[in-house]
Amino acid sequence: MIKISLTVNEKDYTLNINEDKRLLDVLREDLGFTGVKEGCSEGECGACTVIMDGKTVNSCMVMAFQADGSNITTIEGLSKNGEIHPIQQAFLKEGAVQCGFCTPGMIISAKALLDKNSNPTREEIREAMSGNLCRCTGYNKIVDAVERASKEVVK
Amino acid sequence: MLVYKAKTKEEALGFLNKYKDKDCKVINGGTDLILKIKDKKINPDVLIDISGIRELKNIKEGNDYLFIGSGVNFTEIVDNNLFDNNLKGLKYACSLIGSPQIRNRGTIGGNIINASPAADSVPPLLCLDSSVIIESKEGKRELKLEDLYKNKSQLWLRKDELLTEIKFKKPEGYLSFRKIGARKAITISKLSISTLVFLTNDNIIKDIRISSGALARLPIRELEVEKYLLGKKFTEKNIDVAINILQDSIKNRLYSEPEEVLKREIVFLPYKRSAVKKILREVLYESINKGEVIA
Repeated sequence: MIKISLTVNEKDYTLNINEDKRLLDVLREDLGFTGVKEGCSEGECGACTVIMDGKTVNSCMVMAFQADGSNITTIEGLSKNGEIHPIQQAFLKEGAVQCGFCTPGMIISAKALLDKNSNPTREEIREAMSGNLCRCTGYNKIVDAVERASKEVVK
Repeated sequence: MLVYKAKTKEEALGFLNKYKDKDCKVINGGTDLILKIKDKKINPDVLIDISGIRELKNIKEGNDYLFIGSGVNFTEIVDNNLFDNNLKGLKYACSLIGSPQIRNRGTIGGNIINASPAADSVPPLLCLDSSVIIESKEGKRELKLEDLYKNKSQLWLRKDELLTEIKFKKPEGYLSFRKIGARKAITISKLSISTLVFLTNDNIIKDIRISSGALARLPIRELEVEKYLLGKKFTEKNIDVAINILQDSIKNRLYSEPEEVLKREIVFLPYKRSAVKKILREVLYESINKGEVIA
C-alpha cells in the first residue's frame, strides 16, 4: 500500500491505495466518483476522461500513485449549488445524450476546451472531442451542444 | 510492485541505480506502459515515475541547437512556436498522435524509448539527425538517436540509464511528415514518412534526409533513397527512381527477416509498396514547397 493525497472536485483526500491501481480505479472504487466511466480501458474511447491539473487525461492511463498531489475534476464537480453546469444543460437541450455512457467524458473534454477557448469553431470542437467516442449520436448533436454551451457559458 | 514518484532527476537516477538488477521500469505519460501492465504483458518489480520532474520538461533554444527535455509531452510540442516555420513536420507528427488526452500525457522521451515501429515523433527526429542525452549516476553520454536504435531488438541503453534530453541542429531545409492510419484520430500509423530537403537555387538537392515509420522493425533513415537523391536535380523522373529504390528497400529488408516475421508481414508488402508511392512524393513536394501541399 502507498499513501497518496489528491484534490478531487475541490475537496482534499488522503488515502492508502494499492500500487497497481489506476487513477480510474481510485476515483470509482475508493472515492465513489462513478460518473467516471470505464469503457475500453486502453485510451481509445475517452469515457474515463477527467481534468488533471488543467489538462484532460484518460484516467485509465494514469497510475494512481502518479496522481499524488494533483488536482482532479470529474463530472461530479461541475454542478454548483444544485444547478447543473451550462455545458450539461446544453447537452440536454440539444439532445446530445442517448445511452449516456460517453457523456461524462464528452462534457469533461468540452469543459477543458471552453476553459481555454471560450469561442471555438466547430472544427476546433471536433478536434477537442476527438478522443471521445460516441456510438449513439453520430456526434453532430454533441458538437451542437458544445457550440451552444460556448455561447451560454458566462464566466 | 514497488512504486516511486521521483521529484528530481538525481532522485530518479538514484532509484535506477539501486534497482538496476531488478525488473525496473521508468514511467512518464504511461500511455503505452500502463496497458502492458494491465494486460500482464509485463510485470515489473519496480516503477519509477518521472512525470513530476520539472527539469525534464524544458524546451530550449540555443544558437545552433534546439533542446527538448525527454518529459515534454506532445501537446507542449504542438503548442510551442519554436516548432513553426521549417520544423512544422515535427509539430504535425506530434499533433496526429492519439487524441488530446493521450497527447497531454505521452512524452517525446517515452515515444523514443517505447521503440514502436510506428512511433510518430521519431521519423522527424531522425530526419533532424537528433542526438539523445543519456544519464546515469555514473555520468552522461550523448549519442545519435539512430545509434540508440542500431540494434533492432534492443536499445543501446543500460538498465540504470535515463533518456533526459533530445537535441538537434536547427536545419536549413524544410521538415515534412505524412502518415497513413485507419482513421483521423486515435490511430496507429500503418506507415509514415518524414523528409527534410534543402534545395539550391538551381533546383539541386543539396541536403536530403528521409526517414520512415512502420516500414522496418524500428523507424529508420532510408539511406539508399537519400544517397540516390543527394546532388541530383529535383525532377519528377528522379522522384520516380527514388520511389522505386524505397519500394525495393522495403522488400529487401523484409526478406532479410527471420522466416516467421517474413511469413507474418509479407501480406502487407504489396500495400506498403503501393502506399509509399503517393506518400513519398507528397512529403518530398511538401518539403520543397515549404509546407504548401501540391500533390
